[in-house]
Amino acid sequence: MMRISPSIHEHGSPQELPEEKYDVMVVGGGISGMQTALDLGDMGFKVLLVEKEPSIGGTMYKLSKTFPTLDCASCISTPRMASTVHHKNISLLTYSEVREVVKAGEGDFKIRIFEKPRYVNASACTACTLCEKACPVLVPSEYDGNLSGRKAAFIPFETAVPKAALIDVDNCIYCGACERVCPAECIDFLQTPKWHKVRVGSVVLAIGFRLIDAKVKPSYHSEEYPNVVNAMQMERLLSPTRPTHALVRPYDGKEPGNVAYILCVGSRDDTVKNPYCSQVCCMYSIKQAQLLMGVLPLADVSIYYIDIRAFGKGFEEFYVQTKNMGVRFVKGKIAKIEQQENGDLTLFYEDIENGGRLSKASHDLVVLSVGMLPEEGVENVFKDGELALDKIGWIKSPDENKAPLSTSIKGVFAAGTALGPKDIPDSAVEGGGAAIEAAAYLKSLSRNRVGEATEEMPR
Amino acid sequence: MTEDKKLPRIGVYVCHCGGNISDYVDVAKVTEVLAKEPGVVVARDVMFACSDSSQNDMISDIKNHKLDRIVVASCTPKLHETTFRNVTDRAGLNKYTYYHANIREQASWAHTDDKEGATVKAIRHARAAVAYARLSEPLESIKAQVTPGVLVIGGGVAGMRAAINLADLGVPVHLVEKGPFLGGQVTALSNSYPYGKKGQDIVKDIIAELRQRDNIAVYTNADVMSTDGNIGNFEARIRLNPRYFKSSRIEGLAPEMLSESLTADTSGILPKGGPVNMPPFPGAYPNIPCLDMQDCSEECAESISKACGDAVDIHQKSETATIRAGVVIVATGSDSYKPSKGEFGYGTHPRVVTLGQLHRLEARDMLHDIHTMAFIYCVGSRQTKIGEEPANEYCARFCCNAAMNISLVLLSERQKVAGDLRLYHLYRDIRTYGRNETLYEETLKKGAVFIKYSEEDPPVVSAESGRLTVTVKDLLTPLDDKLEIPVDMVVLVTGSVPNESNDELSQLLKIPKGADRFLLEIHPKLRPVETAMAGIFIAGTCQGPKDIRETLASAQAASSKAASVVLMKELELDPYVASVDPKLCNLSKACMAECTYGAIEVKEYEKLGPRAYVNSARCKGCGACVSACPTEAIQLKGLSNKQLRAQIEALGKEV
Repeated sequence: MMRISPSIHEHGSPQELPEEKYDVMVVGGGISGMQTALDLGDMGFKVLLVEKEPSIGGTMYKLSKTFPTLDCASCISTPRMASTVHHKNISLLTYSEVREVVKAGEGDFKIRIFEKPRYVNASACTACTLCEKACPVLVPSEYDGNLSGRKAAFIPFETAVPKAALIDVDNCIYCGACERVCPAECIDFLQTPKWHKVRVGSVVLAIGFRLIDAKVKPSYHSEEYPNVVNAMQMERLLSPTRPTHALVRPYDGKEPGNVAYILCVGSRDDTVKNPYCSQVCCMYSIKQAQLLMGVLPLADVSIYYIDIRAFGKGFEEFYVQTKNMGVRFVKGKIAKIEQQENGDLTLFYEDIENGGRLSKASHDLVVLSVGMLPEEGVENVFKDGELALDKIGWIKSPDENKAPLSTSIKGVFAAGTALGPKDIPDSAVEGGGAAIEAAAYLKSLSRNRVGEATEEMPR
Repeated sequence: MTEDKKLPRIGVYVCHCGGNISDYVDVAKVTEVLAKEPGVVVARDVMFACSDSSQNDMISDIKNHKLDRIVVASCTPKLHETTFRNVTDRAGLNKYTYYHANIREQASWAHTDDKEGATVKAIRHARAAVAYARLSEPLESIKAQVTPGVLVIGGGVAGMRAAINLADLGVPVHLVEKGPFLGGQVTALSNSYPYGKKGQDIVKDIIAELRQRDNIAVYTNADVMSTDGNIGNFEARIRLNPRYFKSSRIEGLAPEMLSESLTADTSGILPKGGPVNMPPFPGAYPNIPCLDMQDCSEECAESISKACGDAVDIHQKSETATIRAGVVIVATGSDSYKPSKGEFGYGTHPRVVTLGQLHRLEARDMLHDIHTMAFIYCVGSRQTKIGEEPANEYCARFCCNAAMNISLVLLSERQKVAGDLRLYHLYRDIRTYGRNETLYEETLKKGAVFIKYSEEDPPVVSAESGRLTVTVKDLLTPLDDKLEIPVDMVVLVTGSVPNESNDELSQLLKIPKGADRFLLEIHPKLRPVETAMAGIFIAGTCQGPKDIRETLASAQAASSKAASVVLMKELELDPYVASVDPKLCNLSKACMAECTYGAIEVKEYEKLGPRAYVNSARCKGCGACVSACPTEAIQLKGLSNKQLRAQIEALGKEV
């Protein structure tokens, strides 16, 4: 989320901290990483959870509601974040990056973690927001998909864990306003980065995914046309904590009346070198369509699709319900978008179910249903032994018919979207599954368990 | 607010739930009204009560205002009662002094058309919760010893995977399989994605792993008859059905007496085989045949007995055994959809087969004279419910992938030989999700033809003089006419349906089923492998259609949950059990007559003499005794009649 350039943080001599020991390190504090940490913690293992953003929560806390049950995403993710931070067996390191993992032997991983300075003493910060109010610098808010602004001194979001401010030094003008108003005197521009040395018995990678940048499809003009938004921005617009009071389109603040969804943007598409289906876009678009009809009862919603992939538990039923609510499903891939004078958009497509003729449609807001790509560079962290990835870059299990959450390095496991595109239920399940893998690995090292099976009475 | 010692000090938090509540309920008004309730010291409205920062604010309130009871008015207690109990616990309060008011499901969501009414209802609910809290007392949770073992029901890949992982943690596992061999549905696959492996090879590998563990007890040919107990301490009675064979010596048996067990086909396309179920593959477990007595007359049994000597005991009887375990994992799998007679020509034409049958034909190399083939997708899945007839409205998830995979196998085998195989795929939506998309792409590249049909106008299969024809309207081409495709074989792409035993199982274990008749998790995201019965977990396809990879992952998630219970020596259970005020008891014994758990005894009390007494370890907190007691001497802890009356009065009070 916070793409603050690491170069700045490398300045100043980093502090080297003494070595710490844990049973397992979980990398990534999203919905699967938290599940892994919680399950391991419940089993009695000491866990270090490392998150590169200033707050745990992953992607889920940004969502509005979730398919197919329409639970609000915050109601599920925020208490999970709270249980994680309060668990007696879980230690948390946020705004920190795992930079080096060396396997010294089975059950012995030597790790170096780089903790970026927040320039705020997080344990003393009370999140009173006075610094936020005092800061004169306004930049686009990553949390709100750039649809609103945030300050250079800011709290990541309402339900962040830890809930503490940080200073975005890339945009800071060093005016000192925040420092002057802070009642807890916790702003500290002299903070330096920290190197944590950690030894663990096992590693679980729950590093999540990267949202596809709609720029890869130039004919959709996501950067030039303000009323072409991506689905994550739409999540924010539909969320109860939305940046604007009403759901309005970015171009002129008009309430949209005719919304289009374009599916498979950057997925199932060899031209952008991503042949995979992203597995979630059909369903989140259908969900957003339902939510839109709730917020804007008069709006028309059309979904342009190749195939509707409502494959999970309760998904097909949800799709059918959405069709019955009056959402229009049009089979056809959008070739290009053109902007009209009033900001409305013309979509050009092949109307497949009506004889395949080339057709045009006008909409006043277009949502690009972008998919998932792997986080880059995870393999470079492993200095000893190669972390195998598939051709797209997702972490690959050596034998998923046996142990789907294993990786090519023994003792290193993976869960959730680190292994490929996935929805929340499947990510949560894998988070739990990776926990027992790590636990079983550690236990198998500590005792000689392999023996001949006793022949049970074969009835 | 006065400093009255007798009055409790209650903190009330009214949650906006983002907008889920505050869009329809005037949260500020609810807070304002509640602030005036007797005993309420702090009343606040909060954006997300469950967020960490709100939790921390509550803890400081508890400390600063010396609160001794907390009420949160938010969503259903099913979601967050535990969350807020933990908050009170962290603040040093007894966690049972916390009480929950549900103003989301009960007020805002239920009355989106009536904001004023929703607000009034929310006030009444929150007031009732405060009335309850006023009378609540600190309670001690019940400590129960945990039986260190796990009962896994179902010996398919899910059950075996769970057993292996748990065994590695040193947890003893009892694995109970209904069929004569381990392996489940995967055994029958001639080819699976993504590696193109035979199902039996996958099963064989997992069995080999399983057999290296010395703390897994395997019971095949066994049924669970009854279960009893609670999380931490379950007891199951299982019936071990006779296998009749004691060793694998079958030299004297005629080949027609044997059948290939799990991979056999019962539809009549393939020869059925005899009553002796052979281990389905080398490395199967147990490696001992099983006689299907239902399929074997008395003479037949005698002849087998004669031929096999002491390898067989045709008089073997079933036995029962008792298994004690701390938790239960249900991994009973699913069934394949069986089309009804005449459905797309199934059962009336021998060359209309299901996906499962195609696998069996492929495994036996019986497709040589097939040159054109039509796959009809979504047979038995994605059905529209009409009237009261049950329908499979769900998508069975893996069938598109599986159909693509077997097509690719056939195409590549055949192209090597003659290059004469033509495949037509008649589909509604191709759902090769994730990287399975590459299976679809490859099938397209190899020249398979894809035709999209609509549910309203499905393909028709007809047979004339032995030749099959599929007639279909293709939505992808502008032709008005329907296509008539002559084919040698029609493959019905069938998915999975809930296991027949689900009804029985859900009654036996008291775990619910969903509308789709698969076993139901508590919450698909928060508690995806837990059931409404604490300590009973679900794994694999008994929960819903899954492929092998997904099945294994869910089995591992279930074993994680199982491990976190059984690795604890002691378990904390809710204290909501009955207790007796001996001073009020007149020994009517009405409670004892009502109690189906045998939890009430008569005990000598000092000075009072014999009175009723509740054995809290046995009590389930059902409350039957409370309604029977003539003197209100027996009450449920945390749910006394006084508290109930106070709640009812508060609910009825004008706003």
